[in-house]
Amino acid sequence: MNLVRAEIERLSARRFVQLMVVLLALAFAITAATTLAGSHKPNADELNSARAQASQARQSMEVSYQECLARQSGSLPPQDTGRYLPADCSEIDPIRQEKLPIAADYLPGVFTFAQQARPLLYFLIAFLVLFGFLVGASYIGADLNSGGVVNLLLWRPRRLTVLAAKLGTLLGAVLVLSLLASVAYLATFWVIGQTAGLPGRLDGDFWSSLAAVHGRGMVLVLLTSALGFAIATMGRHTSAALGAAAAYAVVWELGGRLVMEIIDARRPDQLMLSSHIGAWLTGEARFWDPQICAGNAGNDYCDSFYSLTWGPSLLVLLVLTGGLTAAAFAVFRRRDLL
Amino acid sequence: MSAVIEIEGLRKTFHSVRNGRRVAVDGFDLLVEAGQIHGFLGPNGSGKTTTLRALLGLVRADGGRMSVLGEPSPELLPRVAGQVGAIVESPQFFGNFTGHRTLRLLARAGGVPIARVDEALELVGLRDRGDERVKGYSLGMKQRLAVASALLKDPRLLILDEPANGLDPAGIREMRDLMRSLAATGVTVLVSSHILGEIQLICDHVTIISRGRRVAAGRVDEVLAGYDRHEFLVRVAEPGRAVELLQAAELTAVVDGEALMVSGVSDPTVVSRVLGEQGLWVGELTPLRPDLESVFLELTGAYEHSSVPRQVDGSGLPHADQGEAVINLDRGVDA
Ligand SMILES: Nc1ncnc2c1ncn2[C@@H]1O[C@H](COP(=O)(O)OP(=O)(O)O)[C@@H](O)[C@H]1O
Ligand SMILES: [Mg+2]
Repeated sequence: MNLVRAEIERLSARRFVQLMVVLLALAFAITAATTLAGSHKPNADELNSARAQASQARQSMEVSYQECLARQSGSLPPQDTGRYLPADCSEIDPIRQEKLPIAADYLPGVFTFAQQARPLLYFLIAFLVLFGFLVGASYIGADLNSGGVVNLLLWRPRRLTVLAAKLGTLLGAVLVLSLLASVAYLATFWVIGQTAGLPGRLDGDFWSSLAAVHGRGMVLVLLTSALGFAIATMGRHTSAALGAAAAYAVVWELGGRLVMEIIDARRPDQLMLSSHIGAWLTGEARFWDPQICAGNAGNDYCDSFYSLTWGPSLLVLLVLTGGLTAAAFAVFRRRDLL
Repeated sequence: MSAVIEIEGLRKTFHSVRNGRRVAVDGFDLLVEAGQIHGFLGPNGSGKTTTLRALLGLVRADGGRMSVLGEPSPELLPRVAGQVGAIVESPQFFGNFTGHRTLRLLARAGGVPIARVDEALELVGLRDRGDERVKGYSLGMKQRLAVASALLKDPRLLILDEPANGLDPAGIREMRDLMRSLAATGVTVLVSSHILGEIQLICDHVTIISRGRRVAAGRVDEVLAGYDRHEFLVRVAEPGRAVELLQAAELTAVVDGEALMVSGVSDPTVVSRVLGEQGLWVGELTPLRPDLESVFLELTGAYEHSSVPRQVDGSGLPHADQGEAVINLDRGVDA
């Protein structure tokens, strides 16, 4: 416990951590300020007109769908009405649409919280992922190089305990900071929506789906923090983690993808970490695989997409992070500290 | 007396891609008993720091047995770590912290009362500078801070690796006084150095290491006595005749410039009697005691007559082994 308290103080005193927190606050302030500047509370006329436009759009979708059904059943001649009518009418069934046109879509210059909350949250998560990775790497990397770890080990000659205290402190601190940042962030935009825009439909579904995204985001932030920490521990330097991340991105995500395309490897996307991160965050990620429909000669409908779902993707991320973290502890236990 | 540090047959070889294999410690032995101020003496690169690192569990030994305060190290080191204050090779501190904060964090991590921080700073003379950032400290001040960190625990055993590094003469004297006063309160001190004068001034025991091996160990005066060849410098009016007289009396004597060197003298009165009886009156009779420096230089092969600069790890020199060493005294006579 004492060890953790001391580590919290060390962590919070790191210049780099302070810099990143300032950057976070800055990015946050800029987004909030521009949103605020570009948004206004719609007056009654604007609202009415937007509502009318939205309902018109919905109606037109319904009309198309009915037309499609009618033509399918043969009760309508296949004449050109100027509308797009797919072979499978369920594609345009309004009930099956993810999202129907709503008034907010027809209100330019009005910030609608319910609509923007999710993309805003993704931005925050991306920032926190970067934050966690960099802070995790630099925290242990700098300490290994500055002799801080050696000093500490002269006091507590239990390597695994010392390293675990550091990792635990890191994860705890990143989590607390992330939670605070997300609350402040969402609250600010919620207030903007209430006062200078539209709140939008904030029902239970909305909040629970936002909470789900948030929860997944927090898990991702913790995983990348641990990953940065583990790689920097193994490489003895902060730059080891940065180098590994950059090398992975260039060599595998770009180069590997290119090579797999050239050799026509099947489903290269499922070998990419970025795909799994996407799948975990959004619940499911769909990728194209031409071979699924290769044997499908006829005109039957064929979905040539395969999907990665969050479960297996989380497993991939967990195994990777867990494996590297375990390796870092194993290496650290035996290594010569100079 | 009980052993506070025991090292037997310690071996450590570093492997690196660029430099290949480097034997840093090669079957080294060390015994430090309670209450000693034990000097750990050796030239640069002889393996002092590596030995201390291995003892404190910072590097893995390739072989050998070690114990600290009766507990095998590094396996059971955590049991006694609270009683061992150590600095190994000028420790680095986080530059953005003040000295006080640096110590406070260590104290907290080690479960030491925070009040002890001020005491430790006071002991090393940093009381008034404790609130400044470490990056603004001079080398000597950093060294003092390091010593303060070792003292924080109120240790029973203090291990200091080259504590005099970077200290000015006054600082060295203060460090010496500090070690003495700690020893007076019963703290056992192991202090490594390549500076002989230091060790001779403060240590009662010494272990000399050269190229990873122990070449001498024991009480400082005994180590010196072991190399005492009972030589005397004698000045008389007729050196040539004096040599003949002394050789006739079965003493070894050679002319050395204006004076004589007589060795193997167990009783100096014999010299004045032999010469006086023949009317040669002794003008000066000076014992030439070996000092630690000459013993050290001899044992470690660090002293050469050639004009080739000596190399740090002494490669190419024959290994100086205890017992075979021939002492060159200050006068630099080739024996
Ligand atoms: N990390 C290392 N890698 C390779 N060689 C090393 C390492 N540390 C020390 N050595 C070598 O081991 C020998 C002993 O070094 P050291 O214990 O630091 O000597 P001292 O402290 O007596 O000056 C030297 O030759 C040094 O070059
Ligand atoms: Mg050294």
